Amino acid sequence: MRRLLVFLGFLCTVALPGLRAETPAEVVAKAVALEDKTDEQIALIKSLAPSPELLSLLTLWKEGGIFLVDLPDKSKLPVLLEEAKDADGKQAALLLQSGKPYADADGKPLRLLASDLSAAETDSELRSAMKSILDLAGLAAPDAKSRLRAIEIVGMEQDLAKLPALKERTSSELDAEVKHALLEAIALTELKSAEPETVVAACRALGELGSIRSQDALRLLTKESGPQVKAAVEALQKIERHLVNVNFWGTLFRGLSLGSVLLVAALGLAVTFGLMGVINMAHGEMIAVGAYTTYVVQCVFGPGLELSPFGLHIALPSLKATGWLYDCYFVVAIPLAFITAALAGILLERTVIRFLYRRPLESLLATWGVSLVVQQLFRLTFGANNVQVASPSWLSGNWTIHDVGIGWNRLFVIGFAAVIVVGIFQLLARTPLGLLMRAVMQNRAMAACMGVRTERVNLLTFGLGSGLAGLAGAFLSQIGNVGPSLGQSYIVDAFMTVVVGGVGSIFGTIFSALGIGMLDQTLQQVLGNPVLGKILVLAGIILFLQWRPAGLFVTRSRSLEN
Amino acid sequence: MSAQSRREIWIAATVALVLLGVMPALNAWVPESSFFFISNFTINVWGKYLAYGILAISVDLLWGYTGLLSLGQALFFSLGGYMLGMHLMLMIGKLGQYKSDLPDFLVFLGHTYLPAFWRPFYSLTFAAVMVFLLPMTISAVFGLLAFRSRIKGVYFSILTQALTYGASLMFFRNDMLMGGNNGFTDFKFMLGSDLRSAATQRVLYIFTGIVLLGVYFGCRWLTRTKFGLVQRAIRDSETRVLFSGYSAVQYKLFVFVISAAIAAVGGALYVAQVGIINPSEMTPDKSLEAVVWVAVGGRGTLVGPIVGAVLVNALKSWATHAIPDLWLILLGSLFLVVVLFLPKGIISIPSVLLDFYKRRIKRPEPAEPTPVTTSSAL
Repeated sequence: MRRLLVFLGFLCTVALPGLRAETPAEVVAKAVALEDKTDEQIALIKSLAPSPELLSLLTLWKEGGIFLVDLPDKSKLPVLLEEAKDADGKQAALLLQSGKPYADADGKPLRLLASDLSAAETDSELRSAMKSILDLAGLAAPDAKSRLRAIEIVGMEQDLAKLPALKERTSSELDAEVKHALLEAIALTELKSAEPETVVAACRALGELGSIRSQDALRLLTKESGPQVKAAVEALQKIERHLVNVNFWGTLFRGLSLGSVLLVAALGLAVTFGLMGVINMAHGEMIAVGAYTTYVVQCVFGPGLELSPFGLHIALPSLKATGWLYDCYFVVAIPLAFITAALAGILLERTVIRFLYRRPLESLLATWGVSLVVQQLFRLTFGANNVQVASPSWLSGNWTIHDVGIGWNRLFVIGFAAVIVVGIFQLLARTPLGLLMRAVMQNRAMAACMGVRTERVNLLTFGLGSGLAGLAGAFLSQIGNVGPSLGQSYIVDAFMTVVVGGVGSIFGTIFSALGIGMLDQTLQQVLGNPVLGKILVLAGIILFLQWRPAGLFVTRSRSLEN
Repeated sequence: MSAQSRREIWIAATVALVLLGVMPALNAWVPESSFFFISNFTINVWGKYLAYGILAISVDLLWGYTGLLSLGQALFFSLGGYMLGMHLMLMIGKLGQYKSDLPDFLVFLGHTYLPAFWRPFYSLTFAAVMVFLLPMTISAVFGLLAFRSRIKGVYFSILTQALTYGASLMFFRNDMLMGGNNGFTDFKFMLGSDLRSAATQRVLYIFTGIVLLGVYFGCRWLTRTKFGLVQRAIRDSETRVLFSGYSAVQYKLFVFVISAAIAAVGGALYVAQVGIINPSEMTPDKSLEAVVWVAVGGRGTLVGPIVGAVLVNALKSWATHAIPDLWLILLGSLFLVVVLFLPKGIISIPSVLLDFYKRRIKRPEPAEPTPVTTSSAL
């Protein structure tokens, strides 16, 4: 009797399509229930028109998110499990075909344990069918980014069968970038065409588009014979020219951004070393102070932080911020990084450096000792490994303009360096403090005679320099790793930058930072080897100082010793 | 010969006798169970200290006597080590991991034959010559460039730091064919004798001691000649030396090259005894560490650097074992304290105390006019 009922039910489901159009969920549910009959499954899912619902269902299936409940009659019922788990780890189940809760005979919703169920399986044939459906459907995705990615994937497959789908999209596509990719994908696919004219046209199109991605396919083509060889060679030449352009602008951008990083790192040094003449080997650690401050602020906004230096236990509260509020952490971190590093700098000045103003070599050694101590303190407090600083979402994206990738964080560093430079110039040139600073740096004794409290000006200048290092740290945390030896990796470069620019000239520091950044990136591009580039830059600097021993911008003085 | 210098020689001779005569003898002939036995490990560690002492003298000759704070001494030290290391690598022969005539790392990198610049290093004489030649050439070229354009004071330090940094980056690379990150290690033989045997280690130790003694007396002689006088004059006021008609460039260059050679010898002896050399020995930090030894021991003297090198390294051996987390803090603080409060180092403690005693106890003494001392730096 029961078997009969089931059979009747089965008949109903099979007969139903005639009565009304099935929803994608119903079809997929049916396909899932078929289990091992791959051919029929493929036929079923291919019968559906692409829709967002189908895509999410197929993705879910592919990733093992659809579960099968064994019914008493040996057939299987596909269900989905809701995310929330209760105390026993059970999850509420939904029927795949209708989306309604899976209930027992009394209508009471059932809760199931995921580990008791088997996930709906897929074999490789089925998965590739799904993938091709997903790829093609991706062409129509509402979001331009995912559309772009789908088009690139389809293009690389060079499957002529997918050509109509691609061509169909060209008329409706509005986004310029996506359209560019679409044309590229079409041309790329047409390279496989049997007609030589189409291939030649496709080659020409690829050349016009400057398609870097198609170089391999075109190179393959040059090994064949016929008119397409010439077309392919021409296209390759065009792409090559395009590539040179891309590399040029890319290098320019990267050089500018590296230069800005150097500039930000060296500006603080330009103040303490350049203006005050203090060799602060712990400057790198001031950068690290800024970076760690950013890390702590981020942790307070996010999951909280527990530190245990020297057996102490410090638990920082968590704001549990998410979304835009979390992204704001960086805005809070910037001034805090400045203040923390400035305070650390002032402490250093009071306890060590003020005794050594007349002994520069000794201040080099003493501050190196400080840097060792501080590094070890970082290690003991935050651990010897790098800590993770996540960029806020408004810094982690990038634009691609004509194949040149422009990262927002790099762009931000460039802008920020410009802001700091303007700020410092304003401070030095327009404020009373700046006036006093310049007076003390030019002639300490004379300034003291005029009633300037040189001790205090020293303190503030050193605080400013250290604070700038802290700012640099906040930025470097967005670009590279934050670890105990973060400062060490920048200190040599920073000193070089200041020396090349001309000690005492902030203007020189700007020039040399950008110059060294550009040179470094150019050499990297030309030699294809970052370390060799760096070595050559160092050698270049040593030779440059032969030519201009006092750096780019010489601060003249009547003193013999300088 | 003044009484003080006679006393100094006596002390040096006693210490040398203990280190070079008594210690190896106790190691070789006293039974292991005896209280007086000195273990092979101790001999090896002291050999390392003495090699560091040689490096410290080279730093002091530049910094303490000429006012040039070079952060490149670690580079010359490791270069010397690398040159001898190349010979020792070749002496491993087929005993390496890959049972090949080539050094292991070359086999690992896929080389089938020895690169040309490696071949002469089969001869120990060539390697020994290169221990001197390479660091001296590099220091001569760099020194000439730096001194000619009157780079001095902290600029010299920063530039030598950059030189060392650049060189270490280069040696970290595998395609330099100098062992890359791992450097050279696993040495087996030198002049046919097993490097790991106690007897060889003892001989190397004594040899290191003799070299140190030779360097000490050589530098003692040099700093007491007229040359040494000019050298110290450059330290105290280079401008005045220039105005007096001396060419400071030549003097500085000579000292720089000599120091590089001394450091390189120290490095070669270090490598033979410690049995490993890699680019991390070449970083500017290592140079600064050697500066710490000199500062702690007492710069501007020749005993100070040796005392400092032995003391700080003994402290390091103990601290990295007993309080590994705090070692760097200890080192940094030690440095700070010495620079701030004890500019003349540990060996000045007796005279400081004596001064204190004289001033406190024997107050009624005519105040003698203190000579005007100019600051040593810049």
